[in-house]
Formats: sequence, C-alpha cells, structure tokens
Amino acid sequence: MIPDGVVQAIDRRITAAELRRELERPISADQREEVLALIRWFTHRYPSAESRLAYVRQAYARWRPPPI
Amino acid sequence: MQPSAFDEVAFFRALHQSGSRALLIGRRALVFLGLPVLTADYDFWLASDDIVVFNAVGKQFDLHPNRTPDEARKYGRYVLENDEHIDVLVARSVPTLDGHVLDFDELWTRRRSVPLVDVDVHLPSLDDLILTKQVASRPKDLEDLRLLRILKEQAP
Repeated sequence: MIPDGVVQAIDRRITAAELRRELERPISADQREEVLALIRWFTHRYPSAESRLAYVRQAYARWRPPPI
Repeated sequence: MQPSAFDEVAFFRALHQSGSRALLIGRRALVFLGLPVLTADYDFWLASDDIVVFNAVGKQFDLHPNRTPDEARKYGRYVLENDEHIDVLVARSVPTLDGHVLDFDELWTRRRSVPLVDVDVHLPSLDDLILTKQVASRPKDLEDLRLLRILKEQAP
C-alpha cells in the first residue's frame, strides 16, 4: 500500500513556474550521456516497437504491487 | 504477477484498420521512440468524430467506455477499461500550462508514423509530444520532458 502522502506527491499538478524552470534548466553533459546510454541499451536490446512494448508490460507487471 | 492477456499488437492493428484518427500520447509514445519508461496505461488523443469507431475497436478487446460519446465530447475525455486502462482525450484543443493552445487537427497533420509489425502507429511529432507533456502536468511529466529534450537534441 502506497501512503497517501506519496500518492498525492506523485499525482499533484505542477505549476506553470515549475514547468518554466524545467524547460529553462540546462541539461548537463552527465545527464545527457546517462539518458543516451539508456536509449542505446533499450533500442539495442529491444530493437522493434513490438519488443519494447512487451518489455514494458513485463517490467511493469514485475514492479506493481500485487492486488489486495 | 503476469501481464494480462491483452494483445497489444492486435489492438494497434485493429485500430489501424479502423481508420480512427488516434494519436498515441503519454509514456507509451515515449517507449515507441526508444525511451525506457514504465507505464500502466495507454493515452490517446482521438478525433472527437471518431469516438464510436474507436470504441468499436475497444469492444473487440472487451474494453468498455465509462462515458457515452456525447458525454465524452462534453467533458473532453473518457476512459476505456477492463483490466487495461486507456485514457482517451477527445477535446478539439487543450491549453498547456503556459497558455499555448494545442489543436488536435494541427497535431494530426504533423503526426509521425512508427511501424509496429505490419501496421503504423500514429504519434505526435516530437515537438508536439513535448507540448502534450505540458498539459495538466505532473512531476513525472517533467522527467519525461527532460528525456524528450535530449531525444530532440539527437534528432536529425
């Protein structure tokens, strides 16, 4: 069971100011390389859209809590 | 837990064959583009004239709408669900947080098509997908925005 406070933090709506800050924030070289490495791994390991969709379904099923 | 027996490829094939003007948005669109993000549901932006056709596709997969087409047009969105969950936006236009108006017909005109086995799945252009992440955004949308900005930098 995820605590209500966590759910509220996850689902809260961001403000226009938060959005603007994010869009204006420079992306560091480390952040960029980390994301590009993930993309390289994902698209190499799962080269087709079909395989990517299947991976996400399986990964999400592993991650989500069991039904009560 | 195992994922449900929902056949995604069959669903997208039926959607393609239906001729519905449906844009895949949300995190599954990011997955199509090669970004490894997790998501539970599907998000589509659908032409409001195509609700009945889209629902007929859903019915083949035992997906049921929570609103009638008229209600969906009134509220601008609805859900198709069983043990899968599909959020469907049907508003003709939506504002971003900073007041930019996104118009479905314009996004549809600029759409990109991504192959899935033997059919094409329609996504907004990368610029438009970035804008859809700025509508009623949550914290995870900020993370997605960062991923999409980096992907855009790499685009030819």
